[in-house]
Amino acid sequence: MFDAFFVQQLVNGFSVGLVYALIAIGFTLIFGVLNVVNFAHGEVYMVGAYAGVVLITAWAPPLIAVVLFVMAVGAVAGFGLERLAFKPFRRFQDEASLKSKAMREATLLSSLAVSIIVREVVEKVFGGAMRPVPFESQLTDPVQIGELSFSTGQFVIFGAAVAMFAGLQFLLYRTRIGLSIRAVANNPLGAKYVGIDTDRTIIATFVVGSVMGAVAGILVALYYGSVFPTMGFAPGVKAFVAMVMGGLSSIPGAVICAIFLGLAEAVATEFLAQGWSEMIAYGFLLLTLIFFPTGLFGGARDRV
Amino acid sequence: MTHLLEIRDLRVTMGPQPILQGVSLDVPAGGIVTVLGSNGVGKTTLMRAISGVYKVGGGEIRLDGTPITNRTTHDIVRLGVCQAPEGRQIFSSMTVLENLRLGAGPRGGREYEQDLERMLGLFPRLRERLSQKAGSLSGGEQQMLCVGRALMGRPRLLLMDEPSLGLAPKLVRQIFDLVATIRETGTAILLVEQNAKAALRVADQAYVMESGRIVLQGPATELAEDPRIRAAYLGGHVH
Repeated sequence: MFDAFFVQQLVNGFSVGLVYALIAIGFTLIFGVLNVVNFAHGEVYMVGAYAGVVLITAWAPPLIAVVLFVMAVGAVAGFGLERLAFKPFRRFQDEASLKSKAMREATLLSSLAVSIIVREVVEKVFGGAMRPVPFESQLTDPVQIGELSFSTGQFVIFGAAVAMFAGLQFLLYRTRIGLSIRAVANNPLGAKYVGIDTDRTIIATFVVGSVMGAVAGILVALYYGSVFPTMGFAPGVKAFVAMVMGGLSSIPGAVICAIFLGLAEAVATEFLAQGWSEMIAYGFLLLTLIFFPTGLFGGARDRV
Repeated sequence: MTHLLEIRDLRVTMGPQPILQGVSLDVPAGGIVTVLGSNGVGKTTLMRAISGVYKVGGGEIRLDGTPITNRTTHDIVRLGVCQAPEGRQIFSSMTVLENLRLGAGPRGGREYEQDLERMLGLFPRLRERLSQKAGSLSGGEQQMLCVGRALMGRPRLLLMDEPSLGLAPKLVRQIFDLVATIRETGTAILLVEQNAKAALRVADQAYVMESGRIVLQGPATELAEDPRIRAAYLGGHVH
């Protein structure tokens, strides 16, 4: 039962799950403060990957410099995305429109539009084909431990994910901007009454979420060794599924469900053909929506 | 003489519906002013307009002579007008301490520690519950937290919207004792209440609102004796 191959699959699935988790956190943070789904989040991931690869191709700097650069690109992308696709629908100051249905529907479409435009632009500039990461920079060196073989990318993903989760916890619980993000997510009207600048808080949320998404993008690019314009779609959908399964606005819930999804997909390749394992996430989404409409961890509708 | 808060001919419209149709009132520095009126006459709208949550359609709100009409809520809070709003609007999934921390705004360090200590002296019940989720508090404790959170912002003017709503009589008395205590610290209070009897006892000045207009005003002690008030709001037989 627990042969080496199976354990190997679990390790691979865990790495993939951590990537889904990094993306899902961005979805969840933004859903928490605005009650909207940011459809361009997968493109932030893709842009992060491309930015990193472009930098590597040009100068081949050390990994840490690449990650810092991608974080900066993610921050700018998050800021720009908020200005372009979300802010224009927040002209009205009263609390009714802050979470109104019409606004939600408008930003669904505007973020979708931005995501398509970004994807098309990347395709025009870099071409639609897979673009390999320079071989020296790939994180695909095998690391043999007993019967198991890991790749360096898995260790880097693990380390980066743990660091970012810890950083996020610190931000949300120990800093003023983090407290503001949680306050706006919990009670937007109450947040106004304590003098929180809601607009700035929303921007900060987009920046934080997009930084995490962009880093996930470059990590995956280095791990798999290539980037392509539509690379954000599948992981984006799976992170979205993790968010829904986790209860829409629970970060721990989303992280746990994302890792679970990654593991489930990996285990499924034991029993199913490669193409079919892709169905796992969608199957879980349907089952969750039917049997746990508030998510597995969203019973109390607790936010962030 | 300029008052701390001056409101002149304030008009607020929601959709096609005029809610405030020219409200004027003054709150002197360090004073307690109450606005009475039954449900739906526009009292909460008035409070939200002062805090900048609702857009003002006409008229002017001045703080210390400076217009603050249609400024953003965070600007108004920074200028020293904090509100304990209707429905409390506390952060239910965050701890009591985090709620108070948020109330303090950007102030940190020693000043914040002192304010927190002072607040917990005022609300000893909250000290025992600092690390609890605010949503797990009783109604009375939540109201204390709501007022405490507003006071953490060191307001010059505290707006209190129906602080006694839904509280047991004993807690109502505590809240009004608290109002008197707050005024001793020099904070002016604008108090909106349905409990006219208790409000008139603590207030200096009182205004009575009906369908978006001030219909009666005067010193609280005089209004408490006014037969129209006694008939409409005090059950007709109060000493």
